Amino acid sequence: MHELVENYWLYFLIGQYPNGPLGGLTLTVLLGSAAMLLAFPVGVAFGLARISVFAWLRWPVTVLIYAVRGTPLLMVVFWAYFFLPSITGHKTDQFTTMLAALIVFNGAYIAEIVRAGIQGVPRGQMESALSLGMSYPLAMRRVILPQALRNMRPSLVNQFVSTLKETSLGYIIGLTEVSFIASQINAQVMTQTLQVYGVLAATYFILCFGLSRLAHVFETRSLSAKP
Amino acid sequence: MQSKIISLARVGALTGIAALLLGAGLARADQLSDIKKKGELIIGVLGTDEPHSFVDPKTREIVGYEVDLGKAIAKQIGVKPVIKQLTVAARVPELQQGRVDILAAALTHTKEREAVIDFSLTTFLTGQKVMVRKDSGITQVAQLAGKRVTTVKGGTQEPNMRKAVPSVQVVTFETAPQAFVALQQRKATAFVNDEVSLQDAFGKLGPAQKDYVILPQSISSEALAIGIKKGESSLKAVVDSTLRDLEKSGAAEKLFIKWFGPGTKVNYPKREFKIDTDQIPG
Amino acid sequence: MIELASNLHLSQILTGEFRAWLLSGFWMSLQLTFCTLLCALPLSTAIALLRLSSVAVLRWIGFWMVEGVRSVPLLAHLLFWYFAAPELLPESARAWLYEHHAETLCAIFALTLYTSAYMAEDLRSGIRSVPTTQVEAGRSLGLSYLRTMRHVVLPQAIRIAIPPLISQTLNLWKNTSIATVIGTAELMYQAQRVETASFRGVETFLVTTLAYLTVSLLITGFAAWYQHRFPIRTA
Repeated sequence: MHELVENYWLYFLIGQYPNGPLGGLTLTVLLGSAAMLLAFPVGVAFGLARISVFAWLRWPVTVLIYAVRGTPLLMVVFWAYFFLPSITGHKTDQFTTMLAALIVFNGAYIAEIVRAGIQGVPRGQMESALSLGMSYPLAMRRVILPQALRNMRPSLVNQFVSTLKETSLGYIIGLTEVSFIASQINAQVMTQTLQVYGVLAATYFILCFGLSRLAHVFETRSLSAKP
Repeated sequence: MQSKIISLARVGALTGIAALLLGAGLARADQLSDIKKKGELIIGVLGTDEPHSFVDPKTREIVGYEVDLGKAIAKQIGVKPVIKQLTVAARVPELQQGRVDILAAALTHTKEREAVIDFSLTTFLTGQKVMVRKDSGITQVAQLAGKRVTTVKGGTQEPNMRKAVPSVQVVTFETAPQAFVALQQRKATAFVNDEVSLQDAFGKLGPAQKDYVILPQSISSEALAIGIKKGESSLKAVVDSTLRDLEKSGAAEKLFIKWFGPGTKVNYPKREFKIDTDQIPG
Repeated sequence: MIELASNLHLSQILTGEFRAWLLSGFWMSLQLTFCTLLCALPLSTAIALLRLSSVAVLRWIGFWMVEGVRSVPLLAHLLFWYFAAPELLPESARAWLYEHHAETLCAIFALTLYTSAYMAEDLRSGIRSVPTTQVEAGRSLGLSYLRTMRHVVLPQAIRIAIPPLISQTLNLWKNTSIATVIGTAELMYQAQRVETASFRGVETFLVTTLAYLTVSLLITGFAAWYQHRFPIRTA
């Protein structure tokens, strides 16, 4: 076990960098964070469209969200793989493909979180804002969304942890994230399967459980700080 | 003053039209000029198929026979080589979509694939073979009828195996090393792969070699070649001429000895083929 | 995009050998879902009861089971339970496993563990929403803790928990696609196989997506029907 860690810790953490693209645990965290950061505005936009009064906006977005949520993420990844180059005109690598798939997939889920969050804000808030002369978009931006976001925080943290776990699917398209690297190490060493995959599971556990605990601590702290 | 403006406008319009035509002409230019303009050649490799292309555990760089061939081609064109790792199943789609410029990924030249991509001169001749555990008692490929066999997804291994033994049960994994792990764990009776990759895996076993044997019978003959996008004739010409130069200067044979020759895990005494043709039998 | 649509050759995918592969994959995915559900429902009930137990050690075990399983992605679970864990089994058990569809069995095992962790939490919320007066009434009638659970609390709890449980079933259906990494011949595995053999990626994945969507919509429809037919009765 000791030589295993000694020989492969760097490969596990950062992949081939700097002798190749970034990989390993660092790539997993980077990909998950980037995906969540970019999926959030997409999710807010979709969520607002979902409750829009304009049927021409509401219906297509609702259909898209149902379609995305009914499809396995792996399927969305393969679609991004095949369609993305023809849509963007750029040649995309596994990282960009995975990022795009995660943004679309999580955007659809965040849309529902946003919708629930907005609908959880008392109607009176919107009514008061509108009666003060604010336009709908201004009321949304200044009054409703900030309150909704506070409600959404735990769900959003859950979604972030989910996104980090979803990066593991990059394994299937050859993205050198931490699960792929672990399998590479296992194939090299051949005799320590339990240790290699055990370390992989433990790594994810520390990352994901640690994050949700951290978020929990912040939640309880902010709740006690509320007036 | 007005006539000056009009003539300026005329010149401007003509320049604009010329630029548009030139731009359109440039847009229709072929892949080779794109590569030269970009300054890099994106080489698709497996990175999991020692010694064709694999990750050197000490330097964490992707190295190998095919990597060296790709780098030689990049040098000939005068651009920087960029190594991109792919899964076996992703090779042809990535080439077709132009996400890699060439494939140096243990790609077998087959008639079916000729319909969708082009091939360079054959860079390696091998066959596909089967590795079994000695205690399974299997000495011939035909004895694998009804048994479980592992290999990698998306290559020619599965169809070849099914053709050789129609009743075989094939289980495929994302990478060949993963499939080999499955054999070692006795999850299957046999592991199918290119002979060279099998020799290499066998070599890596070390003391455990006494438990395994590679059956002598080949289930197919594989002509490996560099994959090129269909219709890119100038790129193919450069790739072929690089390969011919390497062959003529003896560098190709040296590369073979470096990765497959005596002293390596594969340990072939000498090279049994020449890099000179891009035709396959049948 | 338009030229893409006119170039579709769906007939090639929907006939003969390729159709047979896709159908067998579809059937395997359905079997995985069904078998996992069968195993996950009792397991998740047990875990939920552990988490609600009055004995601290049992609560602690339940907590770590849920958090440990949920914090690891399903892909890592599948790799672990297929490549790593069976090596711990005694020789005879291992040989039996490898002779009898190890890929399917390990996939069901990993999926059951993963799905149960989530279902246990939904059941736990369901149980907690049953008013404690129900438990008190049951106990005062002389029923033991387990009997109260079984005859009074759980029936009410399950009714409340069914909508989130159906949504977990939807997740389970989609998660079966990941079993392809351990060689389980479900729909995604077969789709990859068809794509390689036919060079027709778009058509293959279109058909596969429609297959997944059909069942997903059926499950979602069932959830909607259930909430319409069995609305939650408040005390």
